[in-house]
Amino acid sequence: MNPSPDETEAAASRLRETVAAQFGRSLHIRTLDTGSCAVCEQEIRLLTAPHYDLHRLGFFFTPAPRHADLLLVTGPMVRAFDVAARKTYEAMPGPKVVVATGACALGGVYPKDPFVHGDVGQVLPVDVWIPGCPPSPLALLHGLGVAVGRLAEKTPGLTFIADGGAA
Amino acid sequence: MPLWFARGLRRGVVTTRYPARPDESAALLPTPPAFRPDQLTREAADLMVAACPGPALSRRDDTLIFDVGACTACGRCAQVAPRVVSSSGEFELATTARSALIKKIPIRGGGR
Repeated sequence: MNPSPDETEAAASRLRETVAAQFGRSLHIRTLDTGSCAVCEQEIRLLTAPHYDLHRLGFFFTPAPRHADLLLVTGPMVRAFDVAARKTYEAMPGPKVVVATGACALGGVYPKDPFVHGDVGQVLPVDVWIPGCPPSPLALLHGLGVAVGRLAEKTPGLTFIADGGAA
Repeated sequence: MPLWFARGLRRGVVTTRYPARPDESAALLPTPPAFRPDQLTREAADLMVAACPGPALSRRDDTLIFDVGACTACGRCAQVAPRVVSSSGEFELATTARSALIKKIPIRGGGR
């Protein structure tokens, strides 16, 4: 059931190539709120506002999982949502991408609460993680670009060490 | 007056050019902290770990472990240790590997 990290990595890179080739300029997003405080949803909604204009990049929101290529998951994955989350994921046609959005979904806010799984990765196979509380629309745009293989990751090169500068 | 507003009045377009070009509003975002290892002592690290409301910070011997994915950019570590912490200014943090978000900060301050 659990593939090795190498297999997962290889499958993930294959998936990204497929997604980039098939969904170059038309990718449909289904959002899934698994108990978030709705600030992530506010930022996601702002993506369609004129300042960010998500549609210019070929991303669209859809209410139907059967039409969706990408599942944008927010919240710490409450246990009461298990069935709905699984059904949503299974209803999506392949190839599909799961993006965990926000600190809750990454296990940063409710890591040990008994009513939640703690992070989205415990229930769904997550392909891209977007940190932030909430992630700004710019961060979400970067995450979506990473998810379809259009933008490069910066995170492995960042150290979060400040050298000198202002005290 | 934000630059995008001035540009919008001139050209009739408010839409950002991101990701093709950088966006000025990125400078206004709250971003995760960056740490200065030469100012960082075990005591300061423990203060920051205690102040952190989530599991983002922990200390193992002379290493401060910073989980960027768990960070909410609340700024409490900067309040308890202002000489150690500054804002990183990084918002393009999306990654395909959760482990890439866990950073190790060496503790070099306090004569060690």
